[in-house]
Amino acid sequence: MYKQQVIKRIFLSCLLGLLYPFSLLAQQAVDVTAKADTNSIRIGEQIKLQLTATLTPAQFKDANFKVLFPVLPDSLDHFEVVTRTTLDTLVNQDQHVLHQTFTLTSFDSGHWEIPPMRFEVISGANSTADSAVTLPIGIDVNTVAVDTTKAFKPIKAVQAVPWNIWDYWLYIAIGITIALVGIGIWWYLRSKPKKEPVIKTPTVSPYEIACQELKILKEEKLWQQGDIKQYYTRLTDILRTYFEHQFSIAALEQTSEELLQNIKPVTILNQQRDKLRSLLSIADLAKFAKLQPTADEHEDCMRKTEEILEWTKPKANVVNNPGATATGEKQQA
Amino acid sequence: MENTSSDIRQLNEKIHQASAFVDLLTMELGKVIVGQRYMVERLLIGLLAQGHVLLEGVPGLAKTLSIKSLSSAINAKFSRIQFTPDLLPADVIGTMIYNQQKNEFVVRRGPIFANFILADEINRAPAKVQSALLEAMQERQITIGDTTFKLDEPFLVLATQNPIEQEGTYTLPEAQVDRFMLKVVIGYPTKEEEKLIIRQNLNPEASSPIRPIIQPSDIMEARKLVREVYMDEKIEKYILDIVFATRNPEEYKLNKLKPLIAYGGSPRASINLAWAAKAYAFMKRRGYVIPEDVRNVCFDVMRHRVGLTYEAEAENVTSENILSEILNAVEVP
Repeated sequence: MYKQQVIKRIFLSCLLGLLYPFSLLAQQAVDVTAKADTNSIRIGEQIKLQLTATLTPAQFKDANFKVLFPVLPDSLDHFEVVTRTTLDTLVNQDQHVLHQTFTLTSFDSGHWEIPPMRFEVISGANSTADSAVTLPIGIDVNTVAVDTTKAFKPIKAVQAVPWNIWDYWLYIAIGITIALVGIGIWWYLRSKPKKEPVIKTPTVSPYEIACQELKILKEEKLWQQGDIKQYYTRLTDILRTYFEHQFSIAALEQTSEELLQNIKPVTILNQQRDKLRSLLSIADLAKFAKLQPTADEHEDCMRKTEEILEWTKPKANVVNNPGATATGEKQQA
Repeated sequence: MENTSSDIRQLNEKIHQASAFVDLLTMELGKVIVGQRYMVERLLIGLLAQGHVLLEGVPGLAKTLSIKSLSSAINAKFSRIQFTPDLLPADVIGTMIYNQQKNEFVVRRGPIFANFILADEINRAPAKVQSALLEAMQERQITIGDTTFKLDEPFLVLATQNPIEQEGTYTLPEAQVDRFMLKVVIGYPTKEEEKLIIRQNLNPEASSPIRPIIQPSDIMEARKLVREVYMDEKIEKYILDIVFATRNPEEYKLNKLKPLIAYGGSPRASINLAWAAKAYAFMKRRGYVIPEDVRNVCFDVMRHRVGLTYEAEAENVTSENILSEILNAVEVP
């Protein structure tokens, strides 16, 4: 009997000795879970999947003990990972909870499973690796129910967003600022003393310049010295320059025929058309065909020029100011 | 030798008499050509000034009829060459062919051996054919094998270009176009003219055929007189001012034209402008050139000699626009 008891004790001791390491391993086990906030979604809706690993304080304090969370790819079977949080730790009195949350969605209707999540557990001085696996989670992804018995409804029109003045406060502020600046500038310019407009008194009129030039031409006695070509060139240039300044006709850049055409709209000048034609014809012959007009013709051309000037001179605004020039003054007939 | 006043007067009288055929010729051509007086006038300028004419216009504007009628009225030999992509230089100027009976190579002259040549659609033939013709135009002689043949005078080439079709054409290079004295752009006849054209074509018996008015030798005499037409130094300066304004517009206060002009007129432009102005003065029965003559021929002489930049083309600025600006800016003597 005693012998049986001794054998029984030895057997129990051996059994305890064999099971002891298993009890140590049991101490190292980690509780892991995967939990979804819902098991049924409509297509495209989102699911919060929370992965949790619960550690004892001893495990948490053990420097050699590590729990590695599963690394989820962007796309699982029938599920897409929308967002993922960082790993967080929640400390209670008797346990430490590590958790990470994923937002998933699915665009395939049907019943799908979120696969089991594998956690890697590393423990011991020699970094023994083990794994803990969660249970799969079934999710129903439903489509929108369509009532086929009813008729098709039209597409909804664009909906107006309710208007709110505060949505536009920045633009209103800028507008008010610009308006204020504008009013300020306007006020400043209005209050600024105005400069008295400078009335430009006409200096020497084109008529006077032409008369002066004719006088000089006469004094030079060009035709008397035989320089007939130069005489007629100067004579026509004086007349053309006068037309240019007095009537704004680009006479210097026009041929005789063009000039006779272009004076037509200027009534006062057109009245002297025949005289001008005769003068320009003789001048052209003298200038381009070496014609030698008679002395009477020279005098006649000079007289005709003077007559044209007299006829077309401005009646009122002739100011005698010999010291000034007449450039820029243009009078439309 | 310097022309004196009496020389010019005599020349004027001589030209007045000698140029009477121009009116007769114009009247004779008017029997079959309705309208297109401008084109006929330019053909005569080319004929009298020993220049060639490039005509640009749509088909059916009596280009062929004009030159054919002109050759009939002058009793000259006419030939027409239709330029095609497969044309060879030998088809234009002629070639050496083997004579089996004589056992030797003999020259077969091409259609270019005539007084008046109509090179129809010159831009349809490749460059080698164009240059063969243009070389003959310039040198007025043809070399076939070892033999050089002088072309009969008067020798006038009237080349045509169709502006509406550009596909499958070989555009004349600037250097080749420069060899044409005039580039004439012809337009459609007026309604009245076209009515007459219809009537004339429906009843061809009513119009009498062209009679020879003058002989080619008369043209040669007229050319001598054209050469004698007096051109004053002032006119020469005017021509140079126009041509130089195309090269250096900024010197004529035309800065805005600077970016529009790729290249200006060549010295050949000045020469041809002077020749054409002389011929025009002759046709107007004058023994001297006046600025009107230069202006009248300026567009036809210069339009193909002013190169436009991409900027000008982008802004739809034509060489005519540029020339108008220049003529309005350059002072007339």
